[in-house]
Amino acid sequence: MATIVVRDLWKSFGEKEVLRGIELSVEKGRTFVVLGASGSGKTVLLKHVIGLLKPDRGSVEVEGQEMSSLEGLALTEARQLFGMVFQGAALFDSMTVFDNVAFPLRERKRRMPFDELRGRVVESLRVVDLGEDVLDLWPAQLSGGMKKRVALARALVADPKVVLYDEPTTGLDPITTDSVDQMINQAKERRGVTSMVISHDIASAFRVADRLAVLYDGRIAAQGTPEEVRRSDDPYVRRFLALWFEKQ
Amino acid sequence: MRGLKAVFEGLGDLILFAAETVAWVFRPPWRTELLLQQMAAIGVGSTFIVAVTGLFAGMVLALQGNYAMRQFGAEGYVGGFVAISLVRELGPVFTGLMVTGRSGSAITTELGTMRVSEQIDAMETMAVNAVHYLVVPRVLAATLMMPVLAVVFSGMGYLGGYLIANYVSLIPPGPFIEHTRTMLDVHDVFHGLLKALVFGSVVSLISTRQGYSASGGARGVGEATTVAVVMSSVAILVLDYVITFLAIG
Repeated sequence: MATIVVRDLWKSFGEKEVLRGIELSVEKGRTFVVLGASGSGKTVLLKHVIGLLKPDRGSVEVEGQEMSSLEGLALTEARQLFGMVFQGAALFDSMTVFDNVAFPLRERKRRMPFDELRGRVVESLRVVDLGEDVLDLWPAQLSGGMKKRVALARALVADPKVVLYDEPTTGLDPITTDSVDQMINQAKERRGVTSMVISHDIASAFRVADRLAVLYDGRIAAQGTPEEVRRSDDPYVRRFLALWFEKQ
Repeated sequence: MRGLKAVFEGLGDLILFAAETVAWVFRPPWRTELLLQQMAAIGVGSTFIVAVTGLFAGMVLALQGNYAMRQFGAEGYVGGFVAISLVRELGPVFTGLMVTGRSGSAITTELGTMRVSEQIDAMETMAVNAVHYLVVPRVLAATLMMPVLAVVFSGMGYLGGYLIANYVSLIPPGPFIEHTRTMLDVHDVFHGLLKALVFGSVVSLISTRQGYSASGGARGVGEATTVAVVMSSVAILVLDYVITFLAIG
């Protein structure tokens, strides 16, 4: 059963057509990776999925809800389905790690006792292999990899059905990249979440994807399992993947 | 012509933003803790600077008032002159300008940084309306605290004026206070408080709006802060005239 269904999605900014008829679906409990070069429209696609942008044409359906037609409170409520990990982690720098991770729970369950709240925060941090020693640290005291982990813990704490990752490995060293990949796989295995990852990191994409799509110039150039995409005869996809496979 | 169009577009955006903010004021959950935090940051945090500027403004008023009125042998009226000037005019206007410089710029910088580092987007994706969480407490706090700060300014100004009149200009305290009583009435106080209330809401709406819509990294945040301070300062002086004109014609 598909959790996310994108149908004929078009979006322009002024004269520039960024998305041109995107079609894809993400199965429940699976990880779907959208690969593409900078400026290919990946982030714009992701922002449509969570309703931060409205399409010019087409639709985005998540768990049966039409995200593109929701407004105001209805949209706010629909977003309770999601957790999202931003490229720069986007931790609230005026809050400690504990307050950052507790934020979605405090907002959704305002009467939750403190002990239960703390337990949920600690448990969520444990999923991303962080201990209680980080609870009182500020985002400025964390390394890039730790920020990503805390961001994922925050995304997972309220038990979302869908987790969206915006360039989760950009700017990270190979070891941290590997641990972020493991973290994405662990979130899927331990929590059963449906994940959508946008990335230009080919190695990372092939490590985490159940299915993937290559976005080029606002269109999907290839879509399928990692193996199917690897065998694609689309010239752009072959060129995009060539460098990495040569390295392998 | 293009500049005029931009001004009207900006004004339209601000009115829509204000309407959205007002709509969220009346929706639960009530974020009392955030409101108190902002009241402390904007109100308590500005008290010292407002008190100092108020003290010196009152002292200057007393000197200038004595200089002007001495020519008519009316030095005794300096008390009333100082009080009316502070309560109706200088209190709300100077307080508005001080809060703009101190808190308005800080609000724009904070929200602008949150916008360009995707913290506001992150908040929205966590099913929390950012206007409700970030804008409403700041606008309410500034609107509530500006009249209080204006009272502090006027109070300290009157004290400064009294000290200068009494010890420098050698005006006896009796006429100074007596003419304050006869010249200043409750309408003057309401006039000043109304101005402070309006300035508080307008300055905070402009500052939050500029930060909320900032783009383009650190430079964009810097530009948004400059625009917020300039727009707020101009708005205070324009609205000061409008309110005064409507009140006394």
